[in-house]
Amino acid sequence: MATTTAVPVDEPKTTEPESQLSIVLRRFRKHRLAMFSLGLLLSMLLLSALAPVIAPYPRDEPNLKARFLTPLSTDVNGGLHILGTDHLGRDSATRLLFASRVSLGTAVFATLISSTIGIVLGLLAGFFGGWVDTIISRALEIVATFPTLSLLLIVVSIFVGNEKNIPFPAIVTKTISFLFAVSEREAKLVLMVNLILALFGWTGTCRLMRGMVLSVRENVYIDSARALGASNLRLLARHIFPNSLPPMIVDFTLGVNGTLVAESALSFLGFGITDPTPTWGNMLGYAQSYMFQYPWMPLIPSLPILLASVAINYIGDGLRDALDPRQKI
Amino acid sequence: MAAFLVRRLLQMFLVTIVAAICSYTLLYISPGGPIDQLLGERQNGGVNRINQDDILRVKQRFELDIYAPVRFSRWLIGWPTGPILGSIGADWTVGCAIPGQVRLRYPDGRTEIVEEGCDQPVTLADLEGRKSSRGVFFLDFGVSQVILRDRPVIDLIGTRLPYTLYLMGGSTLLALVIAVPIGVYSAVKQYSRFDYTMTTIAFVGSSLPSFVFGIFAILIFSVLAKQAGLPYLPSGDAVGIRDYAIPLLGTIEAGSFFDRFLRFLMPCGVLTFISIAGWSRFVRGSMLEVLSQDYVRTARAKGVKESAVVLKHALRNSLIPFITLLAGVLATLFGGALITETVFNWPGLGRLYIDALGRSDYNVANALLLINVVLLLIGILITDILYTIVDPRIRLG
Repeated sequence: MATTTAVPVDEPKTTEPESQLSIVLRRFRKHRLAMFSLGLLLSMLLLSALAPVIAPYPRDEPNLKARFLTPLSTDVNGGLHILGTDHLGRDSATRLLFASRVSLGTAVFATLISSTIGIVLGLLAGFFGGWVDTIISRALEIVATFPTLSLLLIVVSIFVGNEKNIPFPAIVTKTISFLFAVSEREAKLVLMVNLILALFGWTGTCRLMRGMVLSVRENVYIDSARALGASNLRLLARHIFPNSLPPMIVDFTLGVNGTLVAESALSFLGFGITDPTPTWGNMLGYAQSYMFQYPWMPLIPSLPILLASVAINYIGDGLRDALDPRQKI
Repeated sequence: MAAFLVRRLLQMFLVTIVAAICSYTLLYISPGGPIDQLLGERQNGGVNRINQDDILRVKQRFELDIYAPVRFSRWLIGWPTGPILGSIGADWTVGCAIPGQVRLRYPDGRTEIVEEGCDQPVTLADLEGRKSSRGVFFLDFGVSQVILRDRPVIDLIGTRLPYTLYLMGGSTLLALVIAVPIGVYSAVKQYSRFDYTMTTIAFVGSSLPSFVFGIFAILIFSVLAKQAGLPYLPSGDAVGIRDYAIPLLGTIEAGSFFDRFLRFLMPCGVLTFISIAGWSRFVRGSMLEVLSQDYVRTARAKGVKESAVVLKHALRNSLIPFITLLAGVLATLFGGALITETVFNWPGLGRLYIDALGRSDYNVANALLLINVVLLLIGILITDILYTIVDPRIRLG
C-alpha cells in the first residue's frame, strides 16, 4: 500500500478561472466565416448609422434630367453618381444608405420587441405551468395553424395607410424618426410595420424558451436555490433566465434574418414601407420594372439583402457552435 | 384512434370558425373599403360626382348596409335570406341604409354635421330577393367584387388552380427526387468535399430570400442571355401573347406546349432550388442521426452490405421526420408560392391573393385564406396519422 504524501502544487493559482463570456468569445473567434460575416455586418451597420452624414445627395430630390444613370457616371451638373440614379433621377447610393438604415433597423428593432415578448411569455408559461401555460400554449397552437405570410399581408394591407389616424405619442415618433433617419410623418408607417412584424415573430421564440425553461427547471441547483428560500422572482431572474439564454441568442440572430427577409418581401410586394421612404425591398420592387432596359438596377438593392442575410446566418451558425459546450472546436 | 380523430376534427372545426371570424373582421375593418375607393375614383375623375343613390347601390352590393353580425352570418352560412320561417321578424331592423344626420351647433357659432341614428333602416323583409351566397360553410364563397366583378369566387379560383397545382406539384416532385439523394449522400460521406459543397450551397440557398433569387434568375436567363444573343427564357406569365423568336430554337408559337414549357422552367427552377436547399439539409441531419444508432452498427457488424445498410436500414427510418414537411406541402400545393408567383407574374392562386388584397376584393382574399387554413389543418392531421403508420412506437391518444 503506497503512502501518499502531500505534494506541493507547483503552479501557483495566479489566473482567475476563465469566464463564460471569454470562453464563448474565444470559440466564436475560431469560426472564420462567422468572424468575417460579423465584420461585414458591422461595417454595413456603421454605414447605415452614418447615412445622413456621408450621403452625397438629398434623399428624395428628383432630377428628371438624370434618370437611369449608370453607376459611376456624372449628371449634367457634373455631379458623380457612384451607383447611378433611379427612375426619378434620385441618387441610388444615397437612397441605398438610407434604405439600409430602415431595413437593418427594422430587422433589429422588430426582432428585439418580438424576442422580448417571446422570452417573457415563454418564461411565464414554462415556470408557472398550470393555466398560464395552457393559455399561452393554446394561443401558440392557434397562431401556428395560420399561414404566416398570408396573414401578415392581410394585416399590413389593412393597417398600413391607416397609420395617420393612430395617435402615437410624439416622443415615440420622434425616437423612431431619429433611429431610422426618416421624417416624423414617415416614422408612423415605419413604426407600424415594425410593430406588426414583431407581433408575428414571437411564437417561435416563445416555444423555444418554454422548452428551455421546462428543462432548466428540473436541475438540482434550482431545487437547492428554492430550499435556500429564493423567491420565484429571484429563481427566474438569477437562475432560470441566465441558464436558458444561450439558445435564445442564436434564435435572436436567426430572427433578425427572418425579419429582414419578411420586411423586404412585404416592401417588395408593395405592402410594407413604401416610397418615398427607401428600403432594400421597395427599391428592388421598383428596379424590377426597369430591369430589362437597365439590368444593373436590381443588383444595387439585392446584393445588400443577399450579403446581410447570408452574413447573419453565418453569425448565427458561429454563435450556435460557440455557445454549445458539447461541441468541440 | 376513433376518439382521437373525433377530438381532432372538433378542434379543427373550432379553429376554422375562429379563423373565419378573424379574417372576416380583419378585412371589414379595413379603411380602404369599397365606398372609399369609389369616392376616390369619382372625385379624381371629376366627371359625374357620386350621389346618394350610388352610395346606396354600392353599399347594397357589398352588404355594407347590414349590421356586421348579420352580414357575417349571411356570409358564413347564407342565412338569414328573409323573414324567419316565412313571416317571423319581417320588420326586425338588421341594418341601416342611410344614417341619420344631426346638425350640431356649437356655442361659438360653428356647425358640424354628425351621423347619428338611422333615417332608413333595413329590415329582414328587405333582405328577401337580394342576391346572396349559400354561405362559405357550404363552399359558396360568394362573388368576386373587383377582380372579375360578379363572377363567383369559386370560378376565379378554378381558373387559377391548375397553374398553381402544376407549378407547385412539379417543383415539389422534382425537389424530392433531387433532395433526398443529395442529403443521403452528404450524410454517408460526411465531411467530404461533396458534403462541404452541398451544405454550403444549401446554407446560402436557404438564407436567400425567394424574390432576390427569382430576380437573379430573370436577370441571368432572360435579360443578360437575350442581350448576349444566347437562347433565353421568357421572364414572366404562363402563356405568351404573341409569337417570339429565340436564337437557336427558332420562332416559338404563343400558347404552344413549348411556349408554356419555357415559361414554366424558371419559376419551377427557383421553387425547386429553394426546396432542395431546405430539404437536403433536413435529410442529411436525420440520416446522420440514424447512421449513428446501434442497430446500424449491428447490421454492419453482421456483415450486411453497405448499400443495404444505407438504403434499407438507415434511409427508411431517417425519412420518418420528413413526414412533418408534408403538412406544409399540402397547403403550399394549393396556396401557391405568393412571392415567386408574383415575381414571375404566374397566374396562380398566390398571385390572386396578392391581387385581391391590393385591390380590396374581400371575398376572394377571404376564401383563399380560409381554404389555406383548412388545408394546413388537414395536412397536420394527415401527418399525425401517417406517423402512427410508419412508426408503430407512436400511439395517438
